[in-house]
Amino acid sequence: MSLIQPNMAMSEVVEAHTSLIPVINRLGIRLGLKDKSVREVCQGYGLDADFVLIIINTFLNEEYFPEKRLKTFHLSLIIDYLDKTNQYYLMYQIPNVSRHLELFIKHSTHDNPTLKLIGRFFQNFKEQLTAQIQYDEQVWFPYCISSMENNLPSASQNARLDLKTEDNTEALLADLKSIMIKHLSGNYNENLCYAVLFAISTLEKDMKQHNRIRERILKPMVLKVGK
Amino acid sequence: MSVRQNKMIAVVLSDTLSCLGLQNLFDNYFPEMEVRFFASFKELPQKLQSDSFAYYFTDADTFAMHLDYFLTRRNKTVLLNSNKDVASLPANMVSTRLPLEQMIEQFERCLRIDETVVSQPEKGKGLSEREINVLRQIVKGFTNREIADHLNISLNTVLSHRKNITAKLGIKTVSGLTFYAMMNGIVSLDEINM
Repeated sequence: MSLIQPNMAMSEVVEAHTSLIPVINRLGIRLGLKDKSVREVCQGYGLDADFVLIIINTFLNEEYFPEKRLKTFHLSLIIDYLDKTNQYYLMYQIPNVSRHLELFIKHSTHDNPTLKLIGRFFQNFKEQLTAQIQYDEQVWFPYCISSMENNLPSASQNARLDLKTEDNTEALLADLKSIMIKHLSGNYNENLCYAVLFAISTLEKDMKQHNRIRERILKPMVLKVGK
Repeated sequence: MSVRQNKMIAVVLSDTLSCLGLQNLFDNYFPEMEVRFFASFKELPQKLQSDSFAYYFTDADTFAMHLDYFLTRRNKTVLLNSNKDVASLPANMVSTRLPLEQMIEQFERCLRIDETVVSQPEKGKGLSEREINVLRQIVKGFTNREIADHLNISLNTVLSHRKNITAKLGIKTVSGLTFYAMMNGIVSLDEINM
């Protein structure tokens, strides 16, 4: 896929890739984009256009990940984005999957025990992700910022402060999706099932990008500070 | 995802642009094909006994100049032709002047994708009795050490069973394995507290 460039009309970019809407929303950009270019829109919102473009392009292309350039941005910018993404999961995406899942279970026949299991599995995922996000907010992100500001010497060991959940949350979602597709049985509502899978896939894709920035940019940056 | 055995294609063409175009087409629409490019017939590996290519793509000139070679590989040879009148072309000819959509259709026909061997080693196959026993222990929350003790096998054997279970089922997390085991009646809900 060709990369999005600063002089392209933002409205056309979004029209071609509607999956970007939640991404630009969490950066603060709202629809009603008129004919402004990507750069102009970013300027209007006081955003760093280069940073926004990298976020957009890494979101759209799995092969695109300019590690070196990302590391040149200020740490607070990266943490701010990860934090906003976390909030977006909590406020919108998790409730969105939950809502679809509840309807799916309710509207499928009652004698299908596998559906209840799916509900529980998701509940388990939700708890783990929520715990991870809380930990980010209270411990990990503040630590990253203070290590940057104070140039903490011992940061290298403490970079492991990043919470390790029992199972990797991204892998949990992938498993949930794959098990539903392979092992669903009994009567169920097809349309609502698709809605659930669609919502899960959307969240999965978003988390992939989030984790990529987290593991390959934020962690090495914090590690480097300590050295 | 199923593992498709890589099919090798030899493209014998001197035209660089055509080669680039073919590369692009294969990459985008038939990524399971492994394509080798040869600017001339001479560059083809000439070992007669081993014929590792599933298909040969070439032009009419090259074909005519090396009739002996290509006639013995008639079923595997696809000729690129600039004729636009597809109806008059034999099945193993592809017109290079068609719009992309029709070009892809022609390629599909020539490559007989359906017949390519789909091998699924490991994956998709059911678990062995041993593996099911290990799975049961995993979902009950036992550690590898405990599983080894309970089943009277070595720690290494437990690890290798776990590896095989994950490979066969395509499930990475313990929660996922638990979910799988319950959905498939390997353990009952009462046996575990999830």
